[in-house]
Amino acid sequence: MPDLALDDVQGFIVRTYAMPALRVFALRVEHAAAAGQLLGALVGGDPSVPQLATAAPWGAKPEVCVNVGFTHTGLAALGVASEDLASFAEEFVQGPVARAPRVGDVGDSAPERWVGSFASGAVHALAFLFAQTEEALETATARLRAACAAGAAFSELSMYDARALPGNVAHFGYRDGFSQPVIDGGPPPLVPDVLPKAPPGEFLLGHPSQYESFVYPVPQPQPLGLNGSFVAFRILEQDCAGFERFLTAASAQTGLDRELIAAKLVGRWRSGVPLALSPHAPDPDLPLEQYNAFDYAPTPEVPGAYDDRRGDRCPIGSHIRRMNPRHSAVAGNSGLKRRLVRRGLPYGPPYDPEHPDDGIARGLLGLFIGVSLKDQFEFLMSDWANKGTFAPGLRGTRDPVLGDNSAPDATFLLPIEGGRTVEVTGLSRFVTCRGAAYCFLPSVTAIRYLSARATARAISVGV
Amino acid sequence: MTSSIPGQPLPQGVKTASSVQSPLTLVMTIKSAADSQALNALLQKIQSAPLDKNPIWAALTKLNTVHFARFVFLENNTKLAVITSYDGTFEDYINEFIDEIGDVFNALLAHMTGAPSLPVQKNRQAFLDYVRANDLRAIEPFFSAYPTATVLDIKAALGS
Repeated sequence: MPDLALDDVQGFIVRTYAMPALRVFALRVEHAAAAGQLLGALVGGDPSVPQLATAAPWGAKPEVCVNVGFTHTGLAALGVASEDLASFAEEFVQGPVARAPRVGDVGDSAPERWVGSFASGAVHALAFLFAQTEEALETATARLRAACAAGAAFSELSMYDARALPGNVAHFGYRDGFSQPVIDGGPPPLVPDVLPKAPPGEFLLGHPSQYESFVYPVPQPQPLGLNGSFVAFRILEQDCAGFERFLTAASAQTGLDRELIAAKLVGRWRSGVPLALSPHAPDPDLPLEQYNAFDYAPTPEVPGAYDDRRGDRCPIGSHIRRMNPRHSAVAGNSGLKRRLVRRGLPYGPPYDPEHPDDGIARGLLGLFIGVSLKDQFEFLMSDWANKGTFAPGLRGTRDPVLGDNSAPDATFLLPIEGGRTVEVTGLSRFVTCRGAAYCFLPSVTAIRYLSARATARAISVGV
Repeated sequence: MTSSIPGQPLPQGVKTASSVQSPLTLVMTIKSAADSQALNALLQKIQSAPLDKNPIWAALTKLNTVHFARFVFLENNTKLAVITSYDGTFEDYINEFIDEIGDVFNALLAHMTGAPSLPVQKNRQAFLDYVRANDLRAIEPFFSAYPTATVLDIKAALGS
């Protein structure tokens, strides 16, 4: 097992906090010196400032975890030298507005329609507050705001709240949060994973990656880049009424059971039971730790797995099979090389089918973490969600949940027993991006480095 | 691309929005006559092995993106060409390509003028840059009898 400096790594990269509240602050550096002091205090044991949560083992689970990320413009505002700024990966330098077409953030998801300041480049940093209770969340919020206000270090551009829904479901009603890569050298997962462990360099800069003999280039200087990672933060609005209406129409169109169609689109029943294990009806007795114990082809870890090469049980185009093809046949033999750590929680109250068009925004504050935004998050969105060429027989169709299905001929291919495939039409874009930021997630060492840079920069420009 | 994303540039050289396939015409310049002989011996050895022991065959089988591939000596054995038809864009699967067939290219590139730093596993961007610079692609249009079918589509349709 690799010897990772877990106390140098931001906790949410490798650990599932499983906390029911998340508050995200979009911040702007106003005074670099004061910002530098705040960053120093965040990792310096200052009792008046919430302390950064690392991945070091915790005895008792804390009430609150705080993590931070910086955009490329944010790093510049903190005084990172221009040659060092240029050493970051191209997609991070360009940011999510420039990368929007690749990701599929077009049409209703296009940056010009984003909320807050996400499209303007004004966001310098994101602070993530995870909390066990509302009280702990408010206490930490007050302390963080006071710290940002001290010396006018950061201004708060906007704030976004998310809360776990009853039954740990996401807004379309599916129980969520089972599948998560296990990082070699990191803490054990909440739900066991039958896939091979991910090498640390798939999620942390400076370590052996998922590719042979390859370490992703570490942004310079080394103290800034090492043990860092990247997150794509996304505000993903979900059209619950549209999704439910589609299920009703698709059931009428195909004669198939409405909940079977719902399961086929996602690859799991709404209870979270995977189709791979429970193809005809959701097994109510499946133990929770089995919800992620499946594959789409027999493997050494799951020798009894059903060989679902045609997608008879779990459609090849379903959401979870696209986003995590496991050992399915995919282009490039890359099913295990594009994994993401997924954090985040739903926002908005539970959808009420009695009031389908209540005008209340619902969705997900999504955090998609990996060592390479381009090879992981962006690749999943471009090749696996919004193209249909990476796996057999998809014929140009897109992810039925996450993809841009705004085209009138958008189709979902639903294989049924007997070798026939039903073409389900009437999809729309059920998930719309309302804002996004690409953030670097610096190590504790790097936050100290940034603190020193910001202080020095402020002195040099006489602020 | 069957489902090109609005605003996304098409892969370089692909003229029609309906094709998922691309041509690779990688022409590498050999350092010397001695290198040419060594390359010939190496390729003969690899290609005469049983297919399950042929590293090129095994790699391309696992990649599932290459329809056809062949090696050809050109211009009195002063150049070696790798000519393939493959799915998607070369850049998108560069890391997977290197993981599966990098060692073959390490052996070939050791004999080439202007080769990137080796091994390619540790010099991935340099290898990509080298391929781009030496890929003659095709005089458009690149003909395909089935431009929307991928390797995986065809294999699935054949039941293999």
